[in-house]
Amino acid sequence: MSKASVQESAESLGRSVGAGERSAVDVARAFLAQASRTAPRLGTYLHLEPESIVAAATEIDARRKRGETLGALAGVPVAVKDNICVRGVPLTCGSRILERFRAPYDAHVIGRLRAAGALLYGKTNCDEFAMGSSTENSAYQPSRNPWDLARVPGGSSGGSAATVAAREAPLALGSDTGGSVRQPAAFCGVVGLKPTYGAVSRYGLVAFASSLDQIGPLATSARDAALLFNAISGPDERDMTSRPETRQVSMENLERGVRGLKIGIARELLGEGLDPEIHACFDSVSKWLVAEGGSVVDVKLPHARYAIATYYLIAPAEASSNLARYDGVRYGLRVPAGDLREMYEATRGRGFGREVKRRILLGTYALSAGYYDAYYLRAQKVRTLIRRDFEDASRETDALLMPVTPTPPFALGEKSEDPMAMYLNDIYSIPASLAGVPALSFPAGFTKGGLPIGLQLTGKPFDEETLLRIARAWESKSDAARRLPPIALEKAA
Amino acid sequence: MPIDRGTVQKIAALARLRVDPAEEERYVRELQAILTYVEQLQALDVSKIEPTSTVIAGAPPPLRPDEEQPSDVRDDVLAQAPDRDGDYFRVPRVV
Repeated sequence: MSKASVQESAESLGRSVGAGERSAVDVARAFLAQASRTAPRLGTYLHLEPESIVAAATEIDARRKRGETLGALAGVPVAVKDNICVRGVPLTCGSRILERFRAPYDAHVIGRLRAAGALLYGKTNCDEFAMGSSTENSAYQPSRNPWDLARVPGGSSGGSAATVAAREAPLALGSDTGGSVRQPAAFCGVVGLKPTYGAVSRYGLVAFASSLDQIGPLATSARDAALLFNAISGPDERDMTSRPETRQVSMENLERGVRGLKIGIARELLGEGLDPEIHACFDSVSKWLVAEGGSVVDVKLPHARYAIATYYLIAPAEASSNLARYDGVRYGLRVPAGDLREMYEATRGRGFGREVKRRILLGTYALSAGYYDAYYLRAQKVRTLIRRDFEDASRETDALLMPVTPTPPFALGEKSEDPMAMYLNDIYSIPASLAGVPALSFPAGFTKGGLPIGLQLTGKPFDEETLLRIARAWESKSDAARRLPPIALEKAA
Repeated sequence: MPIDRGTVQKIAALARLRVDPAEEERYVRELQAILTYVEQLQALDVSKIEPTSTVIAGAPPPLRPDEEQPSDVRDDVLAQAPDRDGDYFRVPRVV
């Protein structure tokens, strides 16, 4: 068997390690060599420890030699967003308030990956507590887009998307509350799946907005994303929102093409503000769907235009409650003070960055006496209208096709001083989060300037398979998912 | 609803969050921009609409039995205490 290549799929790497054709150590060394060249420039990792990764790979090889059956991801490195707990490993959430914290236990998804013989890799950079769309809100470093280092990789799972795009790791986990897996996937030219709410246990995921948070895979192909989804999904008694209805994706069914599928398009979403090159890419994908025997029907999502306003009340409200636990008492930063209240205020004032503070203030306001009904409760009611839009649209369709972002990746610093401009970037990703339905960002094309364009498919609850199947079919027509950013192709010095 | 520095100070106190006085004006401006944007929700008639607090449909999952279980994380958790006294977290005097 040839030497492991960072351009190989996770599927092929896992098969070869599982079959004993090559070692997990060889695979680990190939990706670590790539990361050592590119990660310092991309700012993808907050924590990457080559020696312990090689040691863990050695242990996976030993398990296989003992005759243990490993899963489809045997020896495959999986990078982990730094808001997911890996026992004994630092966990910062991109925040100063957790600067010296080490996770005391494994998240459910991490336990599943260990059992399957996957290789836990570094912890990826993210916006502080997953709040942001550019990874510029990390308290430690910004991450950069592998296609153009002057541009953002998106966020909040920007490190996870960029590291997969640059082939520093074949797979990564992110978390998606309002688009934090899908938007960086689109900006970096990789596949990103936000599973149905309830498909993946959040035990060990640091909570941001609990009615929205989901863990999702980032990969270079639909098949690889399916393998990672299958490895982490399914019910868990430690997260009462995880659901027994969750279905594994059939790898055979992914090859069935789009013939007979009905794809809905909400044309009112394609108007003002959508970049013309993304619009053109959208049109070419919808034409291809019809040419391949699928059909395209018009649907309406009349309340989707209210999604950002709804989200920026619900998510900060839930965040202000979830982040109350960072008080300097049991773990994390403590700023000593004379009395308890002063200690809380000083600790949180110093430990949290500006975006996190802004959202805590906004959420506290939206929940405060006298404003609860006008803001939070009203937003929850509008959320019902948005959910119904998706239920109505899914009655006559198998999936909906829409953009992920209104523009290609923007420059570092371009939106960081204007929170409202940053929030408006989430216009296409938030509706599916509020509805709780599965949503996939897949590489659809490139701008003339060579920046990736992602498009989004949303589906029926627990039908991740149809979305991945459509993306898989597009991969056989388009090379968008196979193109590599120049930084990934640099030869070792 | 107009926001002023007093509002920011009040909600910062509710949130136990120290805000640098030099930054108050900035938060006033930013929160005002967001709250102005979300005003659009007032245009919808939601009087007959039930709120969504969770998108989970169907029966709630069965509760697991409430039984004592061993935990192997106790020492790792305690080791992270910013200040401790044996197995206790130590905080400034409260009463």
